[in-house]
Amino acid sequence: MDIDKISTWNDALQSIKVSVSSAIFSTWFSQTHIAEIIPTDERFLIEIGCNSSFVKNTIETRYFGLVQDTLTKILGKPCDLTFVIKNVPSQKEAGSKTITPLFEIKEERLDEEFTNILLRARIRPGHTFENFAVSSSNQMAHAAAEAVAQSPGKAYNPLFIWGGVGVGKTHLMVSVAHEVLKKGSETKVYFCTGEDFTNDIVEGIRNKTTQAFRNKYRKLDILLVDDIQFIAGKDSVQEEFFHTFNAVTSAGGQIILTSDKPPSEISKLEERLRSRFEAGLIVDIAPPDFELRCAITQIKSKEKGLALEMDQVQLIASNLESARKIEGFLVNLLTQIKIKKVPLTNELIETSLGKGVETNGKMAKKTPEEIFDTVSKYYQIGKRVLLGDSRARPIARPRQILMYLLRTELQMPFEEVGRLIGGRDHSTVMHAVNKITSLASTDVQIREDILGIKNKI
Amino acid sequence: MDLEVLQENLSKALSITSRFVSSRAQLPVLANILLRGDKTKLILSATNLETSASISLGAKIKEDGELTIPAKNFFEIVSNLNSGTIHLISEKESLRITGSGFTGRISGMNASDFPKVPQIIKKDESIDLSKTKFLNALPQVSFAASSDEGRPILTGILFILSKKNLSLVATDGFRLSKKTINLEKAGREIKIVIPKNILLEVSRVGEENENILLGVKEKEKQIVFGLDNLILSSRVLEGEFPDFEKIIPKNSSVKVRVDKEEFLRAVKLSSVFARDSANIVKIKIMKDSIKLSAESSQVGNQETVIDAKINTEGPELVEGEISFNYKFLEDFLRAVTGEEVVMEFNNASSPGVFTDPKDPNFLHLIMPVKVQT
Repeated sequence: MDIDKISTWNDALQSIKVSVSSAIFSTWFSQTHIAEIIPTDERFLIEIGCNSSFVKNTIETRYFGLVQDTLTKILGKPCDLTFVIKNVPSQKEAGSKTITPLFEIKEERLDEEFTNILLRARIRPGHTFENFAVSSSNQMAHAAAEAVAQSPGKAYNPLFIWGGVGVGKTHLMVSVAHEVLKKGSETKVYFCTGEDFTNDIVEGIRNKTTQAFRNKYRKLDILLVDDIQFIAGKDSVQEEFFHTFNAVTSAGGQIILTSDKPPSEISKLEERLRSRFEAGLIVDIAPPDFELRCAITQIKSKEKGLALEMDQVQLIASNLESARKIEGFLVNLLTQIKIKKVPLTNELIETSLGKGVETNGKMAKKTPEEIFDTVSKYYQIGKRVLLGDSRARPIARPRQILMYLLRTELQMPFEEVGRLIGGRDHSTVMHAVNKITSLASTDVQIREDILGIKNKI
Repeated sequence: MDLEVLQENLSKALSITSRFVSSRAQLPVLANILLRGDKTKLILSATNLETSASISLGAKIKEDGELTIPAKNFFEIVSNLNSGTIHLISEKESLRITGSGFTGRISGMNASDFPKVPQIIKKDESIDLSKTKFLNALPQVSFAASSDEGRPILTGILFILSKKNLSLVATDGFRLSKKTINLEKAGREIKIVIPKNILLEVSRVGEENENILLGVKEKEKQIVFGLDNLILSSRVLEGEFPDFEKIIPKNSSVKVRVDKEEFLRAVKLSSVFARDSANIVKIKIMKDSIKLSAESSQVGNQETVIDAKINTEGPELVEGEISFNYKFLEDFLRAVTGEEVVMEFNNASSPGVFTDPKDPNFLHLIMPVKVQT
């Protein structure tokens, strides 16, 4: 049974007020309250909060019977009383919200200080666990990283994260450092890439400052090395890294490494390093699936202050397969909105996606013929049929996908695509590209097909 | 009750206890002092329900008993009597006073209505606050406590007791003072906020006593001070004391060392005009001196240059000026015991750290005034 403590006590006070003089009431009873009511079988156990020990003693010795009788009458069951010293809850909070200057700037200044700490450790401020989206593809890695952040040097040492480009290896690694620094800014953390490490050694050897180099790396509490595969094949660097690794781990420090391959596949990696890497936890991150890409799109668009509808998010996530591409696309979108001052619509997203995201020319080397071959192989449809006149869906859909790919991957003009696909009109091509773009956000099958073909190209 | 007591002793005891009588008591008995004759001692007690005092003094007791009588009247009568023996006899609910030709009767009230006031402190459960060190530390901290009742927690002084040390911290949100003293005997670890008023009483009467004991009744949210035969109690302030450790700057870009008297004189000079312009005095750091300046649009302006030893750790000197409330500077300078003071700054919007180079246990922070330019 739930009894309203405040109203019960108000009722009780009203009737106590009648029995005692007003001076006694205001001195002893006005600052009291019911702290707790515990119902037992046939009785109530009531804890009465008093503001000072004087009040407590007086009520307990002189007015116990009065309070007990009053409460018994109100609640209809016998009551047992206990007394504690406690301020009335509402009074406690009053006024505590006003922030005074000395404490007001704390947050701001801490932020600034924290950024400095991050910069000193060479950690990019934006990468934290909060803005890391988790799904089945990176769940394991995320859990491992969180465990390491909770107890660095103890959970998994070293933590070896590997995976393809743009899957979030570095983000995860940096998040650990971020979390640890947030807890205690005294921790010595340093982030470097395999190449930085190499350069530092080379510099050390050239300037005869290898001692300084050792002081810098070997006394760290947490060492993060990005793209460790770059030290493979460099003997003296590997040796130095081996000693650094031993020095840091034996002092209870944590090491986190990332690579594009698991240690067993990094060629020219010294055996003793390989075995040490394998002694820790090796986790991989797979390319993000559709749901994760949606989450990434949402996080990134929020960061950039771009308000996207759910269907727009899905449209983007279904057409772009890596987090970096999504980021690039959002930048592109934002620029278009700002410069051209056009409203953010599904059409705008579709046409921007249709143009394809600028790639570094890697894809452009593919010829249209290769894409023809892949698509016809993927769907097991003869090339002639694919380019023919049949409008049956099993033929027409792959044809549309082919047009979509030619347009987005090779950035070919509509006319050119039409000419290649059996001399079709450019408007047919436009229709096909738009159709697939929108279908990709709703149809799982199409999405998988596109991804499958892209992987094969 | 029937007893004889010396006027000197009684008058002194009343001057202390009568400060603990509530001035605007709704309950008449709270305006009274409780007198209790017990074997060889006369015990006087007073309380205002926040704090209490109880003092015992030697007396010749003919008959035990207790009675409460109005504090003000009793104190006025006793303090005007000639020194010598005073005879106090209770007659029902009134007290007859006779001594050196004087006879009087004050009507009082029954002692059973008087609240229970702590009258003893257990030696083995209390902490010895190394009297001299404690009494020297208190004024270095207490001035920084707030007097604004809007935020009660800041009107108290935070006591952090650890194994060997006692740290006192007070802040009003604009400045913060912290002093650590080491205790001779190991105690337990406690963190409590004690109202400023009771501590002022302790420092006022503490000088004459042998030692100062502190007892903490955690369950009753009460602290008890034992000063020989005087027992003072107060409630503990509830609430969360601000996390002050976080705001103490860990490093500074410039360190200024100046002579205390010279600096105090410069601050006082600046106050002439600063009074009219929001108490602001500006400090400019130069190569081997600092310049204090204040101006008022109506009255005039002034500047004082004093020699200083400047240490910069950062690559560049602090640009521009830092503005402070001169009253805060003055308060700090009055609290410092050494001959020199060290000030450390980062920039015009983060707290300045003020220390005494001879006393590493004392730390003071002052928040600069933000000046719109």
